[in-house]
Amino acid sequence: MSPDLIVQQALNGISFGALLFILAAGLSLIFGMMDVVNLAHGAFYMLGAYVTLQVVRSTGEFWPALIVAPVALGLLGLALEPTLLRRLRGRHLDQVLLTIGVGLVIVDLIGLFWGREIRTLPLPPGLDRSIDIAGNAYPTYRLFVIVFAVALAAILTYVHRRTAVGALIRAGVDDAEMLSALGVDTDRLFAVTFAVGAGLAGLAGVIAAPAFALSPGMDVDALIYSLIVVVVGGLGTLGGAAVGAWLVGPADTFGKVLFPQFALALIFAIMAVVLLARPSGLFGRARIGR
Amino acid sequence: MSDMAGVKLSRRKLLIAGGATALAAACGGGTTTAPTATAAATSAATAAATAAPTLKIGMLLPFTKVYAELGNSMKRSTDLYLKQAGGKLAGRPVQVIYEDEANDAQISLQKTQKFIDQDQVDLMMGIVSTAIVYPLRNTIDAAKLVFIETNAGGNFLTREVPDCKPACKSKYIFRSSFSSWQISNPLGEYVSKKPDTKDFFICASNYGFGTESAADFVAGLKKNGGSETGRVLPPLGNTDFAPFVTQIKGQPTKNVFSFFSGTDAIGYIRAWNQLGLPAAGYKMFGAGFLTEQDVLKEVKEQAVGAITSLFWSTELDNAENKAFVEAFTKEYPGAQVDVFAVQAWDGMKMLDEALKKTGGNTKDKDALIAALEGVSFKSPRGDFSIDKSTHNPIHDMYIREVKVVGGKAVNSIVDKVGKVTDPGK
Repeated sequence: MSPDLIVQQALNGISFGALLFILAAGLSLIFGMMDVVNLAHGAFYMLGAYVTLQVVRSTGEFWPALIVAPVALGLLGLALEPTLLRRLRGRHLDQVLLTIGVGLVIVDLIGLFWGREIRTLPLPPGLDRSIDIAGNAYPTYRLFVIVFAVALAAILTYVHRRTAVGALIRAGVDDAEMLSALGVDTDRLFAVTFAVGAGLAGLAGVIAAPAFALSPGMDVDALIYSLIVVVVGGLGTLGGAAVGAWLVGPADTFGKVLFPQFALALIFAIMAVVLLARPSGLFGRARIGR
Repeated sequence: MSDMAGVKLSRRKLLIAGGATALAAACGGGTTTAPTATAAATSAATAAATAAPTLKIGMLLPFTKVYAELGNSMKRSTDLYLKQAGGKLAGRPVQVIYEDEANDAQISLQKTQKFIDQDQVDLMMGIVSTAIVYPLRNTIDAAKLVFIETNAGGNFLTREVPDCKPACKSKYIFRSSFSSWQISNPLGEYVSKKPDTKDFFICASNYGFGTESAADFVAGLKKNGGSETGRVLPPLGNTDFAPFVTQIKGQPTKNVFSFFSGTDAIGYIRAWNQLGLPAAGYKMFGAGFLTEQDVLKEVKEQAVGAITSLFWSTELDNAENKAFVEAFTKEYPGAQVDVFAVQAWDGMKMLDEALKKTGGNTKDKDALIAALEGVSFKSPRGDFSIDKSTHNPIHDMYIREVKVVGGKAVNSIVDKVGKVTDPGK
């Protein structure tokens, strides 16, 4: 590979990793707080993408979707947590099974409502061009995805570290029972966490929609990638999602072009090695009292 | 009415019983059972003459997962054909039993067994994926179930293959679609006649249909001294195509044989444009699925200039195609008329023509097979006939280029390779 090709592939990998970060952050957050691997996460992502399609169809604009889809998914999460997940609290495996069901229902409803044909969205105006990087045309939208993910990471980090909500989340991740004993309404905290996680999945769907095609099956791809990211990075921590995403994205990109025979095996191999060396992931922490 | 239905039902049961006895006799071959078989055959013939029993077709198509829209399109086409035929073929009322292929070989095997044991269908049609029809080949063959493949193009399904691995032709298996060789080999041979399109870089989906088509294309190139300069093989159902298109950009070879379909084709063509390959002088070639209707309606002008080969296009100028496109569009406004619909249509047409010859009889398998082997008609794709030795269609292959006609990106016909026959024996 020539140097300018390496630069281009690195950008491809980083921008893919940026999308994976947005996707995995929500999954990681929900797991950290509620100990539930939300297998409906891929379906939430897909729904976010289809809401974007709807927004573009009705308004002709892409940008409102950045607000509409996360809010819509957040409301869905806010409704699902108390009505379904809360009833099975403490039964983690049952909750995981429940999320599989929720995911299947959402995907089928999407097919019913928007059809099962392949759909695409044009790149938003202003970001539909390419700019010159190292003598090669590179699409500005992919650069935007990197910038967006970095900004989102900064905002999430700030909320996580510096705000009261962040303190509650950190405390909940460490020991939800103790938090409850201290008088915090954990029911509300769990509902909000689930809503934020779902909203983040929706946001990833919005960002992905103009770049990739919308079709049945996109939920499964997204779920697998995000699971790998959080397992590598460490479940339940924001830093873990970031490190995992920016490791898996470029590894996937370079792996696919350099070792096509092992394209899919490579990221699973990374996952296996990380799990052997650090069973709780690179940034995962041993939990208290569980 | 209910009485009538009761009579019909009992007759059908009688027929099935007769058929089963005949089958058992044929398998057993014992002298004592021979008279029974004759009697059953006679009673079947009498029953068929007095009241036409329902013709049951088991149709296995994907209605969920990634190929769902292909299944929907083929169902639309089948339903339209039957509607135009008044719900009858050769005087027999038709019942189509649809089952979901679900892109799963195990589920498809169960559904096929259901067609054979429970529904006791007269014949079976459908199946989109080669990966699903290959393992079903022996089941269909062993059940002596006449089957018309309406999509999957795996070469081996209609060829003589040592040890029948991964599949091979069967007396009972016909195809109304194509073999992948028929699409990619003529394209390779066609382009390599010109001096500036002899050498190609390959970018193909890494699965049976993709790599098989790439090999057929390269074999076609070699007939005129062309060659392959290298390849990248993205996995099937790939999400991000930028890495692969970036690799192409590092190649000195500007002609790229690209085998993708559906979401993969859309992702590939979009990445191709976003990374500025047209401006850098790269040119896209491929099997027609690269720019089929499902893809073209999404990528539109981004595909302009792509050269593909296929046995059909919306732009094909013949009376059958015009009538078909018009009827389909009228019946299903908003739905795309695509090559999959044409394949399903021709599957029904094949059956219709054959049944006319047998007088609607499907019990005499040999007569039905002989009739299917002899079909020849005008299809929306042009002249259509069946190769007797392989049961694969013989049809023209069109060289198409994506052009904007009347503000719409279409697969415009630029040339034709006549009467392409699969080299299988």
